[in-house]
Amino acid sequence: MSLTAEEAKLLKAISVPNSDAAKIVRNFDWIVVVVLLFAVTAAFHIHFMLTAGDWDFWVDWKDRMYWVTLTPMILVIIPAALSYPLMHKLGLPIAGTVCGLCLVIGEWVSRISGFHLWAYFPYSLVWPAIVLPGLMLMDLFYMLFRNVFLASVFGGGAVAMAFAPANWPILAPYHVPVVHIEQLVNVADVIGYSFTRTATPEYLRFIERGTLRTFGGESTLVSTFFSAFVCMILFYMWWRIGQFLSNLGTIPNQLKTFVGLEADKDEAK
Amino acid sequence: MTRLYIKVVMMLVLFSVAGLALAHGERNQEPFLRMKTLHWYDIKWSIENDSTVQVNEEVTMSGKVHFFSRWPEQINMPDTVFLANATPGPVFVRVGTWLNDVPMIQSTGVEVGRVYDFKVVLKARIPGRHHVHPMFNVESAGGLVGPGIWMNIAGDANDFLYGVETRTGIVIEDLETYGVENVVKWHAFWAILAVLWLAWWVRRPLLINRFLWVKDNNWSALITRTDMMVGGILLVFIITVLIVANQITEKTYPRTVPLQGGKVEVQYVPNPEEGLVEVKNHTSEYYLPGRTITIDATITNNTGKVIQIGEFMSSNLRFVNKKLPIAMAGVDEGYPAELVPNKGLILSDDSPIQPGESRRLRMEATDVAWETERLSSLLNDPDSSYGALIFFFDEEGNRYTSEIYGQILPTFFDK
Repeated sequence: MSLTAEEAKLLKAISVPNSDAAKIVRNFDWIVVVVLLFAVTAAFHIHFMLTAGDWDFWVDWKDRMYWVTLTPMILVIIPAALSYPLMHKLGLPIAGTVCGLCLVIGEWVSRISGFHLWAYFPYSLVWPAIVLPGLMLMDLFYMLFRNVFLASVFGGGAVAMAFAPANWPILAPYHVPVVHIEQLVNVADVIGYSFTRTATPEYLRFIERGTLRTFGGESTLVSTFFSAFVCMILFYMWWRIGQFLSNLGTIPNQLKTFVGLEADKDEAK
Repeated sequence: MTRLYIKVVMMLVLFSVAGLALAHGERNQEPFLRMKTLHWYDIKWSIENDSTVQVNEEVTMSGKVHFFSRWPEQINMPDTVFLANATPGPVFVRVGTWLNDVPMIQSTGVEVGRVYDFKVVLKARIPGRHHVHPMFNVESAGGLVGPGIWMNIAGDANDFLYGVETRTGIVIEDLETYGVENVVKWHAFWAILAVLWLAWWVRRPLLINRFLWVKDNNWSALITRTDMMVGGILLVFIITVLIVANQITEKTYPRTVPLQGGKVEVQYVPNPEEGLVEVKNHTSEYYLPGRTITIDATITNNTGKVIQIGEFMSSNLRFVNKKLPIAMAGVDEGYPAELVPNKGLILSDDSPIQPGESRRLRMEATDVAWETERLSSLLNDPDSSYGALIFFFDEEGNRYTSEIYGQILPTFFDK
């Protein structure tokens, strides 16, 4: 695809440093960046809260099996879909980083205002998981390979492979054993038990209830590899969906004539 | 602007007429869940109703809970239950819970038709006036709450301290803040790294320029060798940080255990006196204009002793036979007054029931509580039946409990 004469003229004008055109375009960049940050935060945060939900809300749901398996799969969806337009339409390998950062901002706003100040839950119970390293690795692999297949294998896989290692430094202190009212539990269990969630009893926790029998107790490792495999497929699927949606084009705006404007003629091309 | 004013006024009107929602919505629960599942009795609180405790002070709730034999078919049997407290969130910290003296951090299974002793110890955390109940979460049924009282917490929430000592010797002084600094530190580290990576790209023209360059077939020129080099360094840096951080963590916390998800076994304590008095329901009516449930039943005394009816109890409502002093003595002064109807239990025949005797009589339980507790809505249930416990007392003060169950026939108006 090549530029039209008008587009070439525009590109020439905005490529002149410090020109009015360049300044206008830069201001436009900032407006879009701010709007995009809010939009991605809202979309990715609600997607993550509805799907990862309790696994991310509570320290005593962050187990070695379901949390480690499911969270990366949920994480990779929107960044993979956004990777196509950002990388292929703009040459920006930042989809995962933008999504991860927006999610972290949204989560902390929610944890501080909703969980802590409004509902009195301590931060030790409700801290969100670390998601950025895996999503950043996804961007970096994509940029280095510039190939969607390799990006799926290495980038998609990295979202899962980095998840448990990124979180273990903050989770480990909560997995230290404690004997509380004569029962062996860990610190996370005690925190979850002590700070009452009236409608979330112990049995509702969707956590590992027994080790994966034939893997020598290595739940985290097995869960991580399985999750990475699924993430590779998900990355590719959602990258394709992003590609499809980005290339849909537009349809003529029939309403323009109602407000006295000339009808669109060629937007569907 | 006028519309805005109207909206504000309407909002203020709404706030002024709306009642405060202070309790836990227990009245909203279907009557069958409250009448035919758990029956709580002998409930004791370590403090009086509406009295005040200081932040960090402990309070105890204890008593008995009976799991009804005719457990509703539409919910799971109580094979997975969790003893808890119904409070407005973590305003109290749950220090310990015991069922028949077995610690109940985990869930357990119970048998229907059995009675269990429970105890819940709480520690005051957030100042305010709170409604506090004992509660069982039952899988598929949700939270089933016992009678609640008001507790006031005074003091400063910042003074609250709740700690534990780990099995590895770490003394955690405050569970609220334990590990939080580390969490924030790591989140900040990764966020800063992400911001730096974004800044690397955002410092250059972002949208229109790049879009046009891509359209002009210059996509590959948008990512420079420097970008690739910086990206490669960042990739290696991230992987290195992950490896090193995990190695340090393993050394710092060599002994960890996964989240504990086992189930606890609780044996019921056999109660030889239970069921010695047989109660057979013939007809039960709810007289809507008078808020009265009338039960026509035959009572057979197999205890070998002379007994009298002391109390009819369902859904935490206690209709006590006021003519029987020992039954009245069972109602503590601090027990929530709204759950002990004034008129009590009226019997068609008050005389003692002799050993071996079968007597047919009528019991009347009248109170507006049938409406205010929203129990009369059981008439709208597909299975409009009730369940209750009846307490009998012999002359020596021994208590016998029996279940009663039957369909409710409505009487909507005076004939």
